[in-house]
Amino acid sequence: MRVEGSPALEARQLVRDLGDEVKTRILHGIDLTVAAGEFVSLTGPSGSGKSTLLYLLGALDRPTSGDVFVDGIATAKLPTAERDTLRGERLGFVFQFHFLLPEFTAVENVMIPLLHRRNVRQADAHAQALAVLATLEMHEFANRRPNQLSGGQQQRVSIARAIVHRPKILFADEPTGNLDSKAGLAVMEIFEKFVRDDAMTIVMVTHEPSYAARAQREVKLLDGKIAEIVVPTHKAA
Amino acid sequence: MKAELFIAARQLWHRKMLNSISVLGVMLGVLMLIAITGIMRGMQTRFLGTILEVSPHIVVYDQTLAVPRTVVDTLLGGVSVTHVSRQASSDRQQQIARPRETLAAIRTLDGVTAVAPLVVGSAVMSVGSKELPVEMRGIDPMVQDIVTPLRGWIVRGSLTDLNAAGDGVMVGQQLADLLGVTIGDNVTCASARGVPVSMRVVVLFSSGITALDKGRVYVAARLAQTILGRGDAIDRIEIRLANPDDAPAVTARLEALFGYDGESWQTTNASMLSVFVQQNLITGLMIGAVLMVGGFGILSIQIMIVVEKRRDIALLKSVGYSSRNVLTIFLVEGIVVAIIGAILGSIGGHFLLLGMRQIKTVSGMGFNKPSTFAIYEAPIVYVLAFVFSISVGLLASFFPAWRASRVEPVDVLRGS
Repeated sequence: MRVEGSPALEARQLVRDLGDEVKTRILHGIDLTVAAGEFVSLTGPSGSGKSTLLYLLGALDRPTSGDVFVDGIATAKLPTAERDTLRGERLGFVFQFHFLLPEFTAVENVMIPLLHRRNVRQADAHAQALAVLATLEMHEFANRRPNQLSGGQQQRVSIARAIVHRPKILFADEPTGNLDSKAGLAVMEIFEKFVRDDAMTIVMVTHEPSYAARAQREVKLLDGKIAEIVVPTHKAA
Repeated sequence: MKAELFIAARQLWHRKMLNSISVLGVMLGVLMLIAITGIMRGMQTRFLGTILEVSPHIVVYDQTLAVPRTVVDTLLGGVSVTHVSRQASSDRQQQIARPRETLAAIRTLDGVTAVAPLVVGSAVMSVGSKELPVEMRGIDPMVQDIVTPLRGWIVRGSLTDLNAAGDGVMVGQQLADLLGVTIGDNVTCASARGVPVSMRVVVLFSSGITALDKGRVYVAARLAQTILGRGDAIDRIEIRLANPDDAPAVTARLEALFGYDGESWQTTNASMLSVFVQQNLITGLMIGAVLMVGGFGILSIQIMIVVEKRRDIALLKSVGYSSRNVLTIFLVEGIVVAIIGAILGSIGGHFLLLGMRQIKTVSGMGFNKPSTFAIYEAPIVYVLAFVFSISVGLLASFFPAWRASRVEPVDVLRGS
């Protein structure tokens, strides 16, 4: 069900239990709304439920109860095939471990989200992937395999893969967690550019306070609940 | 489908060493299928071909199918509840009644291409002090040549000589050697009931079948009737058909129409045909086992790859690939492995058969002519090899592919 005039992302009373016999409640009734074009960071100590919340918001997981609305579409009970389509068309993901496919070159990795679309030819996907790599200053590494790239370069390729299909919302799970400070800073600048220039909505999980502070809002989680929502002073101004 | 093909092809190439093992398994299965089928079917085809060439498709004997009436039945003039434990053989000569009309009638039956009357019996052939038992066949040489082509066996002389000479005899080369005779020599033939006759060897033959070459002689029907003491009786009719496979049906029809015992070539060679059935069964089991081993190769390697690729599968799913897309990727990989294995196995099998054709051998089962391996090679065998190997590839990769399709990205992401 799609609700008109809705925010980019909305979580309503989101509960997630994990475990088969002994259930552990990871999230306790989270309510969160993210506006279109907003950059939100999720922070909190390990085990606070940041990544679990991100996976639920990104329709990678189903909540025990409650619902998530992506662009107004309720995703909790959405059939699997439609969730796959939703992710493929409207969402993009960047993970801490870039998850690049080792058999493919950088440009081929970026092409992958486009290839299974019916109306995209391989040549067009290649051109599109090259263009995206160029915007991330990675075009000269387009034909290298992941193992021929540095950690920062690999993460740039994974960002290119996440945005090549022009998603409305980008989810990033500790995208700088595996990078040195310089490369991490570069990733943050890329995200800020996406928000500024493309009005992309970004939800990012991070442990790094300085990166969290660069978002428009910082949602602090503690024990599966939202402990605090902080708007950094420079953003508030 | 393009994405699945693209990913499958690249993954296969990336693990070429590992996938080569799967390919090798399928290749060996296909090679075995082609080689064993080629040899077994070749041997069977040659045997059947020889049998169909040297034997008539149907033989009608002078035995009537009706149950003979006992003395008691005759005395009581009807059906009686009696049991005759032993009835003495009649002195009356068994023969096919009205042979000329019977032969003419058989010729009109559908599928019958030639009909030959015969007189068959046992005799002793002697030259000087040498005596050997022979099966004497009294024939019309020209007609018999159509039913069981004799012309191809002839080493010396001709059927025309046999037809023209009133006292001519066609002798197997091996029998001639044993008796120490050749073309133009005289031999004497006698049977228990007939008159001993002196004959002239006019034809020497070599059929390639030891039993025939050592123990059979052909003479004109009239001469055989004299030697065997059969008067003008015909005791056997041999028939050639357009399609040998029709023999059982035509035999049944003949028996119903004329009341004589008929025997198709399939009945005559039933024991050998049943051996072929068993051979084919064993061959099928062997090939199936080898292909299954190939299938298990694909299965185990695919399972290993799926376990190893869980992270990549999770990534594919997170960017919108469906379970069906993932299933297709791994099925395509299994099928491609099977196809490559089938292609290599077919090429290997073809060359193996080519090599085997060159090997000189002496066939068993009574054939005495040195020959090369009888090889059967037909497109259908290759088509079957492809069908079997693709089925094996599909079946073997289905379980790993299904497991891959069930991977939940969130489970992998949590684990990472």
